Amino acid sequence: MRNFIARRLLYAVPTLIGISIITFAIARLSPGDPIRLFTFGIQDFTQDDYNRLLHAYGLDKPLPFQYVDWITNALRGKFGDSLIYHRDAFVMLLERLPNTLQLASAALLLQLVIGVPLGVIAALRRGSWVDGLIRVFGVAGHAIPAFWLGLVLIIIFAVNLRLLPSIGMLTVGHDQLDIVDRLRHLILPAFVLSLTGIANYCRILRTETLDVLAQDFVRTAHAKGLRERTVVFVHALRNALIPVVTALGGILAALVGGALVIEQVFSWPGVGQFTFQAAIAKDYPIVQASVMFTSTLLVISYLLRDLAYAIVDPRVKVS
Amino acid sequence: MQHRTITALPVVGAIAILIATACTTGGQTTASPTAAASEQPQKGGRIIEGTISDIATMQPILVNDTASGRITDLIYENLLIQDPQNGETKPRVATFSQSTDGLTYTYEINAKANWSDGKPIIADDVLTALEGYGKSKKTVRKSNFQDVVGFKDYSDGKATTIPGFKADSSNPKKFSITLTKVSCPAINDLNIKPLPTQIFGKYVQDSSKDEIDSAPENTQPTVFSGQFKFVEWRKGDQVILSKNDTYWQGAPNVDQYIYKVLANQTAVANALKTGEITFYVGLQAKDLADMQTVDSVQIQKYPALGYTFIGWNTASPTAVGLGDKRVRQALAFGIDMDQVIKAVVFGEATKNLAHHVKVQWAYPTSNLNQYTYDKNKALQLLKDAGWTPGADGILQNAQGKKFNLTISTNSGNTERETLAQVAAEQYKALGINAKAAPEAFQGLVTKLTTGDSTLEATIIGWSLTGDVDPYSIWHSSNIPDPASGKTGFGFTYFKDPAMDKAIEEARNPSNSDCSTAARKKQYETFNQILNENQPYNFGYENNTIAVSQKTMHNFAPAPYSTIYNAFQWWVKQ
Repeated sequence: MRNFIARRLLYAVPTLIGISIITFAIARLSPGDPIRLFTFGIQDFTQDDYNRLLHAYGLDKPLPFQYVDWITNALRGKFGDSLIYHRDAFVMLLERLPNTLQLASAALLLQLVIGVPLGVIAALRRGSWVDGLIRVFGVAGHAIPAFWLGLVLIIIFAVNLRLLPSIGMLTVGHDQLDIVDRLRHLILPAFVLSLTGIANYCRILRTETLDVLAQDFVRTAHAKGLRERTVVFVHALRNALIPVVTALGGILAALVGGALVIEQVFSWPGVGQFTFQAAIAKDYPIVQASVMFTSTLLVISYLLRDLAYAIVDPRVKVS
Repeated sequence: MQHRTITALPVVGAIAILIATACTTGGQTTASPTAAASEQPQKGGRIIEGTISDIATMQPILVNDTASGRITDLIYENLLIQDPQNGETKPRVATFSQSTDGLTYTYEINAKANWSDGKPIIADDVLTALEGYGKSKKTVRKSNFQDVVGFKDYSDGKATTIPGFKADSSNPKKFSITLTKVSCPAINDLNIKPLPTQIFGKYVQDSSKDEIDSAPENTQPTVFSGQFKFVEWRKGDQVILSKNDTYWQGAPNVDQYIYKVLANQTAVANALKTGEITFYVGLQAKDLADMQTVDSVQIQKYPALGYTFIGWNTASPTAVGLGDKRVRQALAFGIDMDQVIKAVVFGEATKNLAHHVKVQWAYPTSNLNQYTYDKNKALQLLKDAGWTPGADGILQNAQGKKFNLTISTNSGNTERETLAQVAAEQYKALGINAKAAPEAFQGLVTKLTTGDSTLEATIIGWSLTGDVDPYSIWHSSNIPDPASGKTGFGFTYFKDPAMDKAIEEARNPSNSDCSTAARKKQYETFNQILNENQPYNFGYENNTIAVSQKTMHNFAPAPYSTIYNAFQWWVKQ
């Protein structure tokens, strides 16, 4: 097991180096000059001022040198100061990370709590109207654009019915520890963010459960006179859940990355919204720190997935 | 049956959504504030202002964005204030006078003005700010002080003091700043925010490095001179301020001022409807009709301090017609700007004819050509310039070169994208093969400032805050030169010696006269030249739309400032 982990971590190194080069190249070679961007229209802004700022931000060196500087510092956890905020980009990212993790965790919980049972129920009621309804829900979950659904839900539940808030994580003036208020703010964005995942798990579980229910060991369990509930929940479901573990790999990283749109719609002060705005402003250090962070998260979560896969399915050996 | 039920469900759901989303709050909104003058201000409560971008810093020296500017304006007082309505420079926390030779400005800070820790605001605090600009490596405003005696040497590390700044030894609240040459914009360029020496002094006095750029107090300020005091910055979410009880004009009525970050204009509109924010300045014109149906808000409209224009590249190698004044005039007569304003910004703008806009004191009073829509006149001017329709109806010149015109603008800005489309359609009616070409703002800005010759026409806007001096945009010294790498905002390549002279005389007058009347005379000439030569189609001045809850009183935003009287705002409990 130890060797497996070490080997996988070793494999991750060239992957992350590759990502760092691609990220750096895309950020720097895309059209536009950040200094020109944030000084556009400033009266009496001279060429000397421009050169001074280029130097202050280390943008006056040739690109390969800039890359080496950046990656060397990044290995020490320093991704450079934001061009806009004049603060360490990685620290700023970490400041917003708990907000995104809060949203992503809630969405993940909803995906599992709603998606898994719906998939199992659909399989057990195969061909019934319940199955049909769940399948329609599954298709809709994949098909409905998240930003559109978010806006519609805001209009219904916040603007018209005034049941839930439309923006942010907490009502202005409320105590930071007001759990009820935080939950009220979480409901809409977490649901919208989870929708695709719910549909996904629903579909996987339905297929897998049907597959497992048709296998010999289930028939044997029935023949032994076990109760239906025992057959389904003890024998069938454990096997059907194996692909769910696979799907879980990378899901957190995907949620962190995928929260970008939802954070925009619900004004959720997370990493996605922050990165989006940094990309528009060509704030290189933040964009690079964000992409590297999400990529590392993805690599780690795939590693954890493989480990978990080996644990739930004894047929898989980590060696 | 089973199948029918399934297919019907989404339809039922869709109808339910339609019904729910169709519900609107009825009622009329007012076009001006409804605060009853007879009502006594109430103390307490909070104001929540919506913003679509978080602040970047609370260090005035580093401020380069609207959001950070708002918060620093609230927590640090400026020496002077531009009149909220017309921009004339007036005393705020300090009075000022100018010497007869025009080189020295003398200031005296109000005797009642103290920092929130009880210490008086004195000349040393102004020097701390000035030295901060000198020490900072990341400020974008260093050039504002280029004419202060000794500032450049101090900034370059060649001197340890700024001899142009002199504190009055007999009165710690009095000081003077001397310039190397008469500079009329200096009164606004020097309008800085004193910084508490007890906090920031250590970053400028004992060091030659750029510690001022990374001072922890830039994000966690502790001592204030403004209407409010900083409490907390929840990154990406909100900035919380509390009233400054020691504010020199009197403590604000409201207890808290919250600057709440929202993701976009849609979120802003929703938050105004739900009452989650108290006010927002800059509602998009497309959202106005919807907002006017909301009972709980009041709407104020006033001209914005800026304009949206189409800039012509008069040196374009591809759209060669743009080099001819008659063609540019034809492009002014050939577009129905009043109709464009209706189509693009729903009537929430007025036609603009020159560089200075109506709310500025420098706006010309002489008659400018109105360029009232006249297609025939436009066609005649084009014909006079040698552009006649070819067999395909497209205009061509004597050399057979067709009049192609690409109108660039920044993608994602729906107003400008629509304007580009509408303008292209109207120019097509003149026989010009015009097309709109949106592109990313990041790339467009670089092209403009470096004088990229591929740009033929560009729709963009100027915000005209600060002094009325148009030097950076219109003086010929600011025309970019791609060959030498020189950059500038003169991307139309238009120059005129008489215009240069007028700009110079209003900026650095030979007779040292920086009076409004003297400068205005020069700007009359300047604006007439622009109006005549049309290097831009000067487009329109948008209206600023401010929306506030009806519970908010004394809110009177103006072109030059929104928060100048925030200490007088109050909220009906």
